[in-house]
Amino acid sequence: MATDLLLFYLFGAIAAGASLLVVLGRNPMHSVLLLIVSFAALAAIYIGLEAPFAAVVQIIIYAGAIMVLFLFVVMLLNAHREDDAAPPAGVTSGPLRAGGVLAVLLVAELVWALRRAARGGDALLSAGPGADPAALQSVRALGNRLFTEHSLAFEVTSILIIVAMVGAVVLARRES
Amino acid sequence: MPIYVAQLGMVLAVFVMLLLSAAVMVYSERKVAAFIQQRYGPYLVGPRGLLQPIADVIKLMFKEPLRPVAADTAIFFLAPILSATAAFAAFAVVPFGAESTFFGLLDEPIKLQVADVNVAVLVVFAITSISVYGIVLAGWSSNSKYSLLGALRSASQMISYELSYGMALAGALVLAGSLSLTDIVNAQQGAWFGFIPRWFVFVQPLGFAIFMIAGVAETNRAPFDFPEAEQELVAGYHTEYSSTAFMMFFLAEYINMVTAAAVAANLFLGGWHGPFLPEYLGWIWFLAKTAAILFFYIWMRWTLPRLRYDQLMQFGWKVLLPLAALNLIVTAAGVIYFGN
Repeated sequence: MATDLLLFYLFGAIAAGASLLVVLGRNPMHSVLLLIVSFAALAAIYIGLEAPFAAVVQIIIYAGAIMVLFLFVVMLLNAHREDDAAPPAGVTSGPLRAGGVLAVLLVAELVWALRRAARGGDALLSAGPGADPAALQSVRALGNRLFTEHSLAFEVTSILIIVAMVGAVVLARRES
Repeated sequence: MPIYVAQLGMVLAVFVMLLLSAAVMVYSERKVAAFIQQRYGPYLVGPRGLLQPIADVIKLMFKEPLRPVAADTAIFFLAPILSATAAFAAFAVVPFGAESTFFGLLDEPIKLQVADVNVAVLVVFAITSISVYGIVLAGWSSNSKYSLLGALRSASQMISYELSYGMALAGALVLAGSLSLTDIVNAQQGAWFGFIPRWFVFVQPLGFAIFMIAGVAETNRAPFDFPEAEQELVAGYHTEYSSTAFMMFFLAEYINMVTAAAVAANLFLGGWHGPFLPEYLGWIWFLAKTAAILFFYIWMRWTLPRLRYDQLMQFGWKVLLPLAALNLIVTAAGVIYFGN
């Protein structure tokens, strides 16, 4: 159990440190790479939580697919370094306020979710260490839940993604 | 002997085996190429040129490591390490034989694989999707136009073919009803009508073909070797690399090939199951199947010319992906209808 805790703190520290450096770093390429490190550390934490499927999906989708696209964009823009000089005042205040509101919302959401889990609101979240690990990590159980209880959310998400894809194609083809 | 010593031994054995397999692949690639082109190939170093890969390695190690002045130093050194690490890591979940006690040497049988993960197929897939970073970062950090173009091509090619690769793989998953490579191999045990082995290739011929084609594209091999197309890009993403850093990319390419072939043998050709041989000699079947697929890769490289880049993308998105999706839907319907 001690090694579990040690590994959790190790990967937690890596994830938190890498995320901080993503925001604070001046080189966009290094930021992208550190974000990948952060995702990989999160995947390691998932493995520590006996959720190998979530870990692998985290790597495939976030570290593997989404970040490659990020990397692509950064490479093509050839943005080597951000300017050290502060950007003009008019640009900062708007995004800063929006970001501040989003950050507050995110923290509130997190607190609400954790309190709800602590009260035992969600069966999966509150299952705890006593639950049968085989049932928790089974891909079959996950699939069953996803396609029965959460099928509406699943379908709505897929429609959302298709709409985004069609929109991108329409925007890209408009010129010709 | 305690079990953890055996496990450590297994890790070491797999590592050495992969290194050796890369050497064997370099030699066979040159010999098969020579045979196809009616040449002798390497024949001076050692008997029948067998020591040629070792000579190559020594030559590369003693070359001067060069670095472009405008390169991003940290990433430039990180990229080849990332490539080689990803190549080795993927093989960790690939089983290559039935459980064995090594003729009573061990108290309890251990599996012939480093780690039996219950989502092994996805792990291979995840590491494949990570391995693209080695190439992309190498291309970008070199700060050279040829390298950058090679990296961009590699990234778009690997992302495009990863989809078909995954869908072809899903066909075998649906048939076996498991994500564990060991379970998938064991689902192919036995024979139909007593003589046709129950290998998934006989029920999934289309899936197998798609998997093989996408596998070639994933490993950046000819006829899909656009990231390093000599005529257009000098050497593509590793133009600026020399010495051991270059060697790591070279090593990674061959180990990726071996892993792709081993996974194909497990998913579609029944892994270590086969007629005539007892269970404990199953690894011979596994080696034979992997070698056959690898020979096919080499054969293809020296037979087919490189496609055009737009043809590659067209083929990937408009032919391979719809076919793979169709294959998956038909397989899933078949499994539901016939009840496995």
